Amino acid sequence: MADYEMTIGIECHVQLATKTKLFSPADNDARDAAPNSKTHPIDFGLPGMLPILNKEAVNLAIKAGKALNAKVANVSRFDRKHYFYPDLPNGYQITQMYMPTILSGSVEVPLENDSSMTVRIHHAHIEADAGKLTHYADYSLVDLNRAGTPLIEIVSEPDMHSPAEARAYATELYRLMTFAGITHGDLYHGNMRFDVNLSVAKKGSEELGTRTETKNLNSFRSVEKAAEYEFKRQVALLEKGERVVQETRGWDDAKGKTSSQRSKEDAQDYRYMPDADIPPIVLTDQQIADIHADLPKLPPQYRKEWGDLGVDKSVINSILANQQYAELVSAVLASGGKKAAKRVANWIASSLNIDDMSDETKNADVADLLALCEMTEKSEITSNAASELFNDLMSGATDPRKLAEERNLLQVSDEGAVAAIVDEVLADPASQKAIEDIKAGNDKAIGFLVGQIMKKSQGKANPAMAQKMIRERL
Amino acid sequence: MANVSRDDVVKLAALSNLQLVDEEVDGLTHDIVNILGYVEQLNELDTDGVEPTYQVTDLENVFRDDEVMPSATTTDDLLALAPDQADKQVKVPKVL
Repeated sequence: MADYEMTIGIECHVQLATKTKLFSPADNDARDAAPNSKTHPIDFGLPGMLPILNKEAVNLAIKAGKALNAKVANVSRFDRKHYFYPDLPNGYQITQMYMPTILSGSVEVPLENDSSMTVRIHHAHIEADAGKLTHYADYSLVDLNRAGTPLIEIVSEPDMHSPAEARAYATELYRLMTFAGITHGDLYHGNMRFDVNLSVAKKGSEELGTRTETKNLNSFRSVEKAAEYEFKRQVALLEKGERVVQETRGWDDAKGKTSSQRSKEDAQDYRYMPDADIPPIVLTDQQIADIHADLPKLPPQYRKEWGDLGVDKSVINSILANQQYAELVSAVLASGGKKAAKRVANWIASSLNIDDMSDETKNADVADLLALCEMTEKSEITSNAASELFNDLMSGATDPRKLAEERNLLQVSDEGAVAAIVDEVLADPASQKAIEDIKAGNDKAIGFLVGQIMKKSQGKANPAMAQKMIRERL
Repeated sequence: MANVSRDDVVKLAALSNLQLVDEEVDGLTHDIVNILGYVEQLNELDTDGVEPTYQVTDLENVFRDDEVMPSATTTDDLLALAPDQADKQVKVPKVL
């Protein structure tokens, strides 16, 4: 196994967040819809139908170009890709074979170990999705709700060499596409689907091995698992002296295995030809720049902006799992400065369920967050209390000082009151061993005394002040 | 002269989901050779410097706004055009 190296390229289908389909004015949201209820004669490929390109789909593709650091083509066109399959009533898919809208680009992918890698983008093209087939014993049923849904297919160069890199790339694509508003990013409903192309070769070999394509992976984890499985499977074949067959494979998530799938065509012969119904997309540089100007901040910009906050990259990446949190940290940074932004970033990463990306997520008022930062800064509340209040603010509560007062969370920083408790604890026979330890040079024992003080004060004494007073007294 | 073998025609038929009997393969092989030969005459033209023609309308940027429009044709109308249907879906012979 150690003698082999894998090479991975990924194709990703991204469902565009449009209201209607790519070429028909039918509703694009087919989630939980009755079969064929979101269809139009264009989606059924009826003779005489005239597909007309959805402007918003083109705008989103142009935005995707920016998110992919790619040049957007001044002229792009659509082609017909022919194959016979019942999920495709036209007998061809409308796609962009020769002149795609998005040209070569690159994605900077953050990796686990705080480093990053560049994955080059070969191109990305706009195309219409096919319908959905359900297979029964001796027939199949065709639902065309999804037929004509606008997609962009992002084709990477084979720049990845481990399952972890493949997963990291898929994750970063997701962040880029959702932040830019290209897609709703609903992975459960297949809004982003990954095809993993993987081949293995002996380390140091000039030639790549025969690749397989594992299609339709719809989670970052399955991208990683499928790559791990294919690597092992292909190496095992080569070790046995057998050949890897170039083929399309499917992924069984429950079994954690890929398996050979009969391909739609025995030979890949799609007889591409220009689509005469769809005139070319012609864009000036100014038009492209205007659409790019509409984009919100994307993950790479946030990373740059937060680079010198002094928080871990893991904290930054977990905040970037949710655009609202990212916007919040930036708002706090803008009005409260680095220290406050760092606090909020750490609170988000440690206290909230980041992966819960429901639409219900509320964002706290920035002024309230800054007030909470100030209370924490001045040690008026403990860090536990700060976390608790932060979660409340993020769930719609307001006025953290009032909340802290109501719940009796404000720490006692009145010197007289704290001093009384310190004296009480130092006089307690149970504290004598710790006092001797400290005097003998074991400074850690002071933690025990501070703990006793916190206990007596029901967690409200200012621990820094208590510690200072203990030292003064010993 | 275009070179088209019987195998090419059998493969083409498979790609097109057509079932041909032997005599049809022979006849089509002959016809396709003739058709390609006829079209090949175009290769005699000098097309250096001529822009490829992708379409003949000279239109560009034909877009529609992203608004859902009700269709006058209902799901039932569309399904009625299919040879067979079940559960509001088009029913086709098993394909896998």
